[in-house]
Amino acid sequence: MGTSHSSHDAEASGSTQIASDETLRRLSMAVAGAFTLLVLAFLAILFLGAYIPVESFGEGFVDYSLLVQILTPPSGYYTAFLNVIGVVVVSAITSVIAGIFVGLGRVSKTPFTARISRAYVEFFRGTPLLFQLIAVYYGIPALFGTGNFPIQNFGWPAAVIGLTLNHAAYTGEAVRGGIESIPEGQMEAARTLGMGYVQSMREVILPQAWRNAVPAVGNDMIILVKDTSLLTVIAFPELISQWQYTYSNTFDAWTPLVVVGALYLLITVPLSSIVQRAGSVVETGDRR
Amino acid sequence: MSDRPHLLEFERVNKYFGETHVLKDIDLEVDEREVAVVIGPSGSGKSTLLRCTNRLEEIQSGEIRLDGTPITAPDADVDRLRQRIGMVFQSFNLFPHKTALGNVSLAPIEVKGIPESKARERARTLLERVGLGDQTDSYPSELSGGQQQRVAIARALAMDPEVMLFDEVTSALDPELVGEVLEVMHDLADEGMTMMVVTHEMGFAREVADTITLMADGELVERTPPEQFFDQPTTDRGQQFLSKLL
Ligand SMILES: Nc1ncnc2c1ncn2[C@@H]1O[C@H](COP(=O)(O)OP(=O)(O)OP(=O)(O)O)[C@@H](O)[C@H]1O
Ligand SMILES: [Mg+2]
Repeated sequence: MGTSHSSHDAEASGSTQIASDETLRRLSMAVAGAFTLLVLAFLAILFLGAYIPVESFGEGFVDYSLLVQILTPPSGYYTAFLNVIGVVVVSAITSVIAGIFVGLGRVSKTPFTARISRAYVEFFRGTPLLFQLIAVYYGIPALFGTGNFPIQNFGWPAAVIGLTLNHAAYTGEAVRGGIESIPEGQMEAARTLGMGYVQSMREVILPQAWRNAVPAVGNDMIILVKDTSLLTVIAFPELISQWQYTYSNTFDAWTPLVVVGALYLLITVPLSSIVQRAGSVVETGDRR
Repeated sequence: MSDRPHLLEFERVNKYFGETHVLKDIDLEVDEREVAVVIGPSGSGKSTLLRCTNRLEEIQSGEIRLDGTPITAPDADVDRLRQRIGMVFQSFNLFPHKTALGNVSLAPIEVKGIPESKARERARTLLERVGLGDQTDSYPSELSGGQQQRVAIARALAMDPEVMLFDEVTSALDPELVGEVLEVMHDLADEGMTMMVVTHEMGFAREVADTITLMADGELVERTPPEQFFDQPTTDRGQQFLSKLL
């Protein structure tokens, strides 16, 4: 690495600066380079292991004939992929709607409503999603007594209920943050014109609060996609359960893992760019 | 025309913030078409007086009446009463996500249920009246402070209030923008609007006010016509206040 004692550095002495910008830049490039090499090496072993003359790599880690078999329709992976998208779309809509109410409850002037909403958020952020899914899927039918639960395929409803209960808490906090960032004068101006609380919220506060909440809600939607992996414990046919199925039949861990990872990214990468775009639209469209 | 002598009546109004006694036994009447300018040192309770008038703050005792209807009664229809009382704030408080036209037409559409096309037409007329006929589609962030404040006045007028409350509406403005807002208020006064105006603009007070009300420490100290107030205040505190201004 180059010398760090440039004249530039001398000027900065006395400040808390530890390394010069140039040194930092080189260091970060070195780290990024090393990281890239490691990843490339790993991917090479993963995909091309069979062609690398190292004993333990054996046949390689990705079995291309199994890969073709997995990707040839009709395949459970496609069904699982569509299930994930389906449950994400439905739960995203329900948790945003529920989240708006949770957020409104959090800022309510009625102590009872505010406390209930607070307790809701504390509970669903304070217990693991896995716990909540199990409570819904196994707990609710148990309330009916053995054999009395009327719903047959409870996996889907349980998935939506569990994900919604959980993400409404996070979305609710994002909405609350959005509402609290709006100056008090906005509500006063609306009320002064004779608009009621609900009208003022709907027409004046929420449209502005929503803009502030979009980035946080967007991030939560990406987390929602990844949270579907937990649905495997409630017998919801999603991607991890497909992996388990393939693994238990073939004892090949990496080939289905590669497929599952790629399919998650196929959802989250476009979603994240949508979220980013929505966020920047909000910024440039901000008319304050 | 109402057969009642006063449009706004304050009777022994007391307001506390916790322990602080902010309004002390305020008795005040504002006649129809009167321009009542309220002045007084900072913290004397001028804003609080206006905010109690449309129940942004609650009073602890006494009564405020609008055309004989008690505003401060526990069972008063607050939303309906607020429609009859327009208010303009120092900080404009325009809705940033709506255009000038949207700001002015929102409440008539939402509250009075006026059809959108009619409300927008009316809003256009009001914006023309405050000299902003060419800015109807601008968002608040695209307008100067003076223009924003004029939109805020038009927004309040859109509800056809019987009385307008102005709380230091020019205090946040650059000096060169003060005139255009005062001009709109002057026009409004000439058209016979009943107004309660808290302001530090003594030129405006002298020229437009029908009465000057001086407040100090939560008390109503003096209430006189402007000629008399600026010539020779009747109270010591009035004289003190005036001498500080000069
Ligand atoms: N929300 C509040 N909570 C507690 N005290 C308050 C509140 N609003 C105002 N006060 C107090 O009430 C008193 C009167 O305040 P007010 O804003 O009515 O004065 P003002 O005459 O409008 O002053 P200014 O000229 O600075 O605007 C002050 O002592 C102020 O500190
Ligand atoms: Mg004030």
